[in-house]
Amino acid sequence: MLLVPCPNCGPRNAADFSYVGEAKARPDPNAATPEEWRDYLYMKDNPAGRLRETWYCRSGCRQYFVLERDTAANRFADPPLPAAEADGEEA
Amino acid sequence: MADIPFESPVTKTYDFLKPSPLGDAGGPPLTLSDLSSTGKTILRADPEAADRVGVGFGASVTVGDVLVCGQRPGEWMLIGPIAAAQAFVDGLGLDGFHSVVIHTHSRALFCLTGDSAASALEKVCSLDWSDDMTPDGAAASATVARVTCDIVRNDASGTRSYLIACDRSFGQYLFDALVDAGWEFAVAVTV
Repeated sequence: MLLVPCPNCGPRNAADFSYVGEAKARPDPNAATPEEWRDYLYMKDNPAGRLRETWYCRSGCRQYFVLERDTAANRFADPPLPAAEADGEEA
Repeated sequence: MADIPFESPVTKTYDFLKPSPLGDAGGPPLTLSDLSSTGKTILRADPEAADRVGVGFGASVTVGDVLVCGQRPGEWMLIGPIAAAQAFVDGLGLDGFHSVVIHTHSRALFCLTGDSAASALEKVCSLDWSDDMTPDGAAASATVARVTCDIVRNDASGTRSYLIACDRSFGQYLFDALVDAGWEFAVAVTV
């Protein structure tokens, strides 16, 4: 069982969460080119190692947050941050 | 607004539980009650409004006839008469963006009461319902039998008691799941 450390609810079963995806900065909608939108929406780094991810606590606090996971070991590295604080914008 | 007749989501009868085939388990019995007709109002506002509301995420407090439950950051469930809940919100003097929505008809509300209530609840919910983690007044959201629920510990009469709210459409299923979980504790049902 994978325990996801929610900043509000504490560690909970991953089944209580939705995996949103890699945490990326959203392009400026007024200035982004189609290529930048494509990269933001579809192109993933998918590293075998440390990766910043956005998760959604759907059964608990219903908040988005960002945390770092080692995809090779499937372990979370750092305490999570609310998504807005981590990226400077709403997830 | 005209009063709309309330229809409980629990429509089955549970006569097969009377008397319990397992007998009296000793001590106060475990009871499961359908309180769905109780007024339920959801207040959403900036999480910073917790100071004015008087309770934040993860706790609850009784204000007059209303039980104010901090279910999520910036979201409170007000359990009690609608008029009393509206008066409570009006008295807060919230000046920022906020919403107040009546959910009496869209949410089911059950009460699991008894010394063995935590043991029964832990059969279908992964949270730790011990006194250390969830004392009287604690509020949380979690899945109960895979249904997303808002749960409040409310030992109103001095007996361990949990208020469990979920979407109305899951009400009958959740009620059956709680009856099944309480079976070994000789649960008595009030609908």
